Amino acid sequence: MPDANPSVPPTRALLTDENRCRLEGWLAEQAGASRATVTDDGWLGSGGFRPNLGVTLTLADGPMAGRHACVLRAETADRISASIGKRREFAALRAAHGAGVLVPEPLFLCDDPAILGPDFFLMRRIAGVGAGFAVVKGDAPMPDLARELGRQLGRLHRITAANPDLEVLAPPPDCPAQEVIRQCRDWIGDAAQRDPVLVWGLRWLHVHAPLPGAVVLCHRDFRTGNYLVQDGVLTAILDWECAGFSDPMEDVAWFCARSWRFRRSHREAGGIADRADFYAGYEETSGRRVDPQRVAYWETAAYVRWAAMAIQHGRLHSAGGEPSLELALTGRMLPDIEMDLLRHLRSAAARAVAPAERIG
Amino acid sequence: MRTDPNAHTLLELAAATLRRDVLPHLPPEGRYAALMVSNALAMAERELRGLDDSGRAMLLALVPLCGADADPSLTGEELATRVDALQHRLCIEIATGAFDGDGQDLLMDALEAIVRARLSIANPRAVPAS
Repeated sequence: MPDANPSVPPTRALLTDENRCRLEGWLAEQAGASRATVTDDGWLGSGGFRPNLGVTLTLADGPMAGRHACVLRAETADRISASIGKRREFAALRAAHGAGVLVPEPLFLCDDPAILGPDFFLMRRIAGVGAGFAVVKGDAPMPDLARELGRQLGRLHRITAANPDLEVLAPPPDCPAQEVIRQCRDWIGDAAQRDPVLVWGLRWLHVHAPLPGAVVLCHRDFRTGNYLVQDGVLTAILDWECAGFSDPMEDVAWFCARSWRFRRSHREAGGIADRADFYAGYEETSGRRVDPQRVAYWETAAYVRWAAMAIQHGRLHSAGGEPSLELALTGRMLPDIEMDLLRHLRSAAARAVAPAERIG
Repeated sequence: MRTDPNAHTLLELAAATLRRDVLPHLPPEGRYAALMVSNALAMAERELRGLDDSGRAMLLALVPLCGADADPSLTGEELATRVDALQHRLCIEIATGAFDGDGQDLLMDALEAIVRARLSIANPRAVPAS
């Protein structure tokens, strides 16, 4: 079985009169209904990336008879290496949903290229605001929201590789730190020949790598901008396309990295509240304590990994695929990310915390 | 050959016109793309105007670590090639552990100066106060 079916260019219409009929037939069969109709409600979100198509699914009968507001997520051509593909994303989403994490209910996965071409899945559509700047906009911090996000992350981190639904994911790494270093080196590629900031980041990660600890299912892009909020209340955690097994502190650190504070730099937990609020929620449900020293390590990893992802976005643009100003501009964000990395390394050095146990 | 107005004046005017005359009249779904265009025009204009200044600042930052001379007369492609060569040399030294012990403060100062120079083109608002 191939890793993924062909992807669609992100700017092309996903549904046509022809493939809509095939989609409806397939959905009717999956839902045990005599007839299904799908209406296109348009692309969701304001960004240039278009992974989410709003659709309304109407089933004539069967166990799910009725109208369902859904999101159709299909593989797109601007997929970067951190993305795991729709089949694995669906498995991670289902595992998270099964563990009681607040996510859109995953409904149907299709890997038959005869239906739409690319792999795709349907999940329920949830109301709420997702754009990072809109979420952090208010002057008042949102400690309750941060605490709830911590609780949700803690719940996710109770899932391990023992979950049989997750066999489709890459196996848990023996040493998550070394695995991230290897991935980042791979993604950065030739740029590591001429960018001393990234090379220093990679070297620092190698020298300070902690011994492996718990390895759990991580979201790996758990941040402001990837969850929905309505009236200050969390409604769903989205964008599971990077999920995989790793050190739980990787997700904690990614959430707190400056890159995702949307100019609310003083609110270190995702631009919405203090770290203490987020950490407290996490400790309520995860069954483990937040380890600040490990979080500091993984925050360095967050900047290096985000820089590697930005390089990949820029490369996708210059590789001759679909022209995309958004991809091109993401590639030009590298100095911003590197300044955050240096700022973090300076503060880590100032704290002068000597790790108790290291490898490398 | 001299053209008037030159390329960076045209880019400045295009960006200002977009912000003043186009953006306020766009529907919300078009604003994001227009803001990206505005950002790209401004960045291209800064690059046309300031690439050599940025390159010289990077060269100055690299000299204390690489033991080379900073030639202030270098411009354009020659300057870029020189900066690339010094950065490549520094990358090798970092990757082989030359800064694992001593010299980290010096290295961090140089790296910060390099990123400041690049930020002056990519996103001047993000340059931290000295």
